[in-house]
Amino acid sequence: MNIVFVLIPLSLVLVALAGWAFFWGVNHDQFDDLDTPALIPLSDETANGPAEAESKAP
Amino acid sequence: MPALTCFHCGEPVAGDTPVVARVGGLDHPVCCIGCRAAAEWIASLGLQDYYRLRDAPPPRAVAVGDYSAWDRDQLQRMYVHHRDGGEAEVCVLLEGMRCPACSWLIERALSAMPGVREIGVSVPGKRVRIVWQPQLGSLSQLLGALAHLGYVPHPLDRESLNDVVEREQRTALKRLMVAGLGMMQAMMFAIVLYAGALEGIETSTRDFFRWIGLLVTIPVVFYAARPFFAGAWRELRALRPGMDTPVAFAVALVFVASIVETLRGGAHVYFDSASMFVFLLLGGRYLEMRARHRAADVVDALARLQPAVAERLDANGVPESVGVHELQIGDCVVVADGATVPADGELVSTECRVDESLLSGESKPLLRHRGERLIAGSIVVEGPAQMRVARVGAETTLSAIVRLIGRAQQQRPRWTRYGDRAAGYFVCALLVVTAVTAAAWLVIDPTRAFAASLAVLVVACPCAFALAVPAALARSLTVLAQRGILVLTPNAIESLIRANYFVFDKTGTLSKRGLELVSSLSAGRFTVEECLRIAAQLESGSTHPIADALRAAAGCAEPARAQDVRATAGGGVEGDVDGVHYRLGRAQFASATEVDDDRIVLADSRAILARFELREVLRDDAPATVAELRASGCGIEVLSGDSHARVAAIAGRLGIDRFGSRVHPEQKLARLAQLRAEGMNVAVIGDGVNDAPALAGADLAVAVGGGAELAKSSADIVLAGDRLGGLVEARIVAVATRRIMRQNLLWSLVYNAAAVPLAAIGWVPPWLAAIGMSLSSLAVIANSLRIRVGAPGTAAPAPAAAPDLTPVPA
Repeated sequence: MNIVFVLIPLSLVLVALAGWAFFWGVNHDQFDDLDTPALIPLSDETANGPAEAESKAP
Repeated sequence: MPALTCFHCGEPVAGDTPVVARVGGLDHPVCCIGCRAAAEWIASLGLQDYYRLRDAPPPRAVAVGDYSAWDRDQLQRMYVHHRDGGEAEVCVLLEGMRCPACSWLIERALSAMPGVREIGVSVPGKRVRIVWQPQLGSLSQLLGALAHLGYVPHPLDRESLNDVVEREQRTALKRLMVAGLGMMQAMMFAIVLYAGALEGIETSTRDFFRWIGLLVTIPVVFYAARPFFAGAWRELRALRPGMDTPVAFAVALVFVASIVETLRGGAHVYFDSASMFVFLLLGGRYLEMRARHRAADVVDALARLQPAVAERLDANGVPESVGVHELQIGDCVVVADGATVPADGELVSTECRVDESLLSGESKPLLRHRGERLIAGSIVVEGPAQMRVARVGAETTLSAIVRLIGRAQQQRPRWTRYGDRAAGYFVCALLVVTAVTAAAWLVIDPTRAFAASLAVLVVACPCAFALAVPAALARSLTVLAQRGILVLTPNAIESLIRANYFVFDKTGTLSKRGLELVSSLSAGRFTVEECLRIAAQLESGSTHPIADALRAAAGCAEPARAQDVRATAGGGVEGDVDGVHYRLGRAQFASATEVDDDRIVLADSRAILARFELREVLRDDAPATVAELRASGCGIEVLSGDSHARVAAIAGRLGIDRFGSRVHPEQKLARLAQLRAEGMNVAVIGDGVNDAPALAGADLAVAVGGGAELAKSSADIVLAGDRLGGLVEARIVAVATRRIMRQNLLWSLVYNAAAVPLAAIGWVPPWLAAIGMSLSSLAVIANSLRIRVGAPGTAAPAPAAAPDLTPVPA
């Protein structure tokens, strides 16, 4: 059972890390617009202009 | 042939000369040159995916104006923030931004501009923050590019760069997250302790878990719950205990008691209860805040109404673009067709037509002659107009209206929440009971005093009490938002139930903007259809509401255009159809012998051919809404700035017998004061800027979506789906909310009344008290989830084909 004395502090460190990551995300505009980024992958093929799209064509 | 719609803006393509835009190797029809330029520019940047991604068409692209005035130093000083390193930053409000694809398009298009370093688009805030290098590109180029895309850019002054709303939202999100994480951790460790209490656990292990629980609860109490402590401190200093006081008290109490128990190795700790309580309350507040932020604030609204740039004539009569704040009394200003009047003044040119509908509620563009007054914020419809400035800045009528709003908002009666006062009493009573328990046990058996008084505190912890109102309110906000009804102030739900007198504005609220043909009377030479066809041809090039109505009635969207068409401001149009000269318009214009009434007359050079009677179009759900409100015993009145005949016509069609016409904003406010003096709870429903003071002074203010932003900023409820019927639905939900709230309060009262005496006589061990507290809170939340539009027992009318169920950002 003594393993919990190691594992639980470890889990607390992980929680602290998760909290820090979340704060970092909020401070770096990651939660300001939750709608637009969802569209970006849909268009990545042609977003950089027709030239790239043509070069990918067989 | 199906009606063509514009590839870019989705509006019907009119006229027989199709404009086409070449996008992706195909020709697409567009409605105007502006839209063609926008579509081809978007395509040239390789961004044609925009047309696939968007879910709402952009506004019709307008001819790109001249933004060079924005490069003047005086203007830049007010609007542009110069950072270290030679970069400049500006915040621009964009009219016409509607969906995420807009933000995508703006980002891509602007990043192709020279010198642009950073772009931050906020769709809910409708603004974009641009950081760029002024040596490489000017502000006017950036604004021009935005206008090119079809958005109307309004730079905001420098203060808006440090966005208060954004900071508030971010802080709230962080607090919610901390509370959530802390709650999960504390519950996990609490389960160990509960299991240990049943199965047996070593004291050292138990204490270890208690210390860990304390550790994860510290951030919740000291960071996440800080708004409650700050609020309680404010309330206590003002000697008016509200909702924050019992909440802060409960959190502090449970936390301190748990620490004491941890230190002295007592029977039970309650860290999980404390953090769960904080998390649930923060969740409710977060929802409330999101709804509030959806409304644009007064600053945004003013930015749209008041132009920042004016065309001033210098001594030689040459126009020069200057900032509006540079205008002096006596300056001569030119206002172009479709532009906004920059200051109050008098007309110098012969005549023009202005649209004052936003300011006065008058639905028709008004004719102004030389020497007559033009007011800031109105729009010149037929111009250009030349005017002499008489009043600037804070002296203008527009500023006076804004001041009226401010004053009316101060007069607004403060509604106190049901739960607030009750919870205040409850906390006092609880403290007394605890003190009595402790005192009694100290006399009887000092060893049990602490456990018993703690059980009383925990079992009666005002959690259920504190959650009773917010849980029901948060649920009703969510339900209403799903139906396109945005509740912006916390008191709106209560005010909606109490409101028993509804004052409607006419234009834009009961009626839509636009006209319809009621009757046509032919003089006999032609049939009615032929007359309509002639009229439609005469009006084929016009965008006036009368023209739209006549074209719609003639049944042809693109009639052949008449020859030699000439329009006379305030009269009508004349032109040749099939070689015959016709005149169409007001009776005096069309045929000098006629008496002038509201009807439109078609005449040739000899005699009158037909009379058309037009009327305003009622909103589809206006009759049902009015009938529904009347059926529930509410008084209904129409107050409008429009003419008597028009108001009477609309009131008559809806069966409303009380109405007032030509009512100024101040008179509306006075009428409201009179009604309230008679003991009425008055709700005002409006959409225009002229309604804004009345909205701010009403017990309940409802703004119809699509109206002026200024009206929305002083509203309690915004009907974003643009349906008046939302008012009836909101009433149903409000009544359900009140019922649920009362049940919640009753339940927590009954629970406490039963549990407290048991705890006081020492029959409830603290662990049972903790379970009881959690269950009573959960019961309150579960009960609140029963609120919906079709709540049982309310006989909700199924909304027939609600056009839009998703909440539209206001």
